[in-house]
Amino acid sequence: MMASTSVAESAASGISFDRLVETHQAMVFSLAYHFLHDRAAAEEVAQDVFLQLYSHLEEMVSPVHVVFWLRKVTANRSIDEARRRQRRAEVGIEAAGDPASPPEADGWMNLRLRRLVASLPERQRMVIILRYQEDLEPVEIARLLDVSVNTVKSQLQRALTLLREKAGVEKRA
Amino acid sequence: MTMDPLEEQLKHALRREQPRAGFAGRVRARVAVREETARRAGWSSLPQLRWVVAILLCVGVVAGVLYGHGKVEHARGEAAKQQVYVALRLAGTKMQLAESKVRNF
Repeated sequence: MMASTSVAESAASGISFDRLVETHQAMVFSLAYHFLHDRAAAEEVAQDVFLQLYSHLEEMVSPVHVVFWLRKVTANRSIDEARRRQRRAEVGIEAAGDPASPPEADGWMNLRLRRLVASLPERQRMVIILRYQEDLEPVEIARLLDVSVNTVKSQLQRALTLLREKAGVEKRA
Repeated sequence: MTMDPLEEQLKHALRREQPRAGFAGRVRARVAVREETARRAGWSSLPQLRWVVAILLCVGVVAGVLYGHGKVEHARGEAAKQQVYVALRLAGTKMQLAESKVRNF
């Protein structure tokens, strides 16, 4: 139970919690950012997720558990936030990329793809992000989202088909 | 599992990004605010403490009522005592009058 001890120890000291934040901030922020396509909202969600982690730190049994927990909670929080924004009719897909980092040579292509991903239905969007950002297998995505592996596979296929269609339409236009 | 060009592009477009600089500090600040709020609310939110306060309040109210009731009774007793003294004094005076009349008779 070495891993368990190390996480339990991290619960006791603020320094280790800081390290957890620094280690996983890119993962948590990017999951929320690619889903919401809004940096400010993604930062808010990411902060909330880490605050929640701080409250549940003693329940973490291993570093692998921490990563699983963070991905699961971030996915759920991002979906909740997207629904909340939809209700408030605030869905504002960013028209431009991050102003702090202007697009590089293939930046426009990435931005276009991100916009297309942001336009997918929420479940398909989350499956695509977990698959290609986090490099997860369908079985791992199924465990995270509490759905069957077949559901994940069909959502993945539908999302890729939709993305190809949309990319084709944009190209023709 | 080989990836087609779209999947390769997705992998590239959806790569991880860092949040704005100072993210960990902002999380730490929010944790500190939450802990301070919890610390302040800690005592008053203890369920046992709430019960103790409620019981003490009940005891205080009952004691107050009893004390007030006792005071009223005491005042009534004092008034009755005064009336008895007055009656005894009157009776004594009457007796003295009667005694002097009998002696003079």
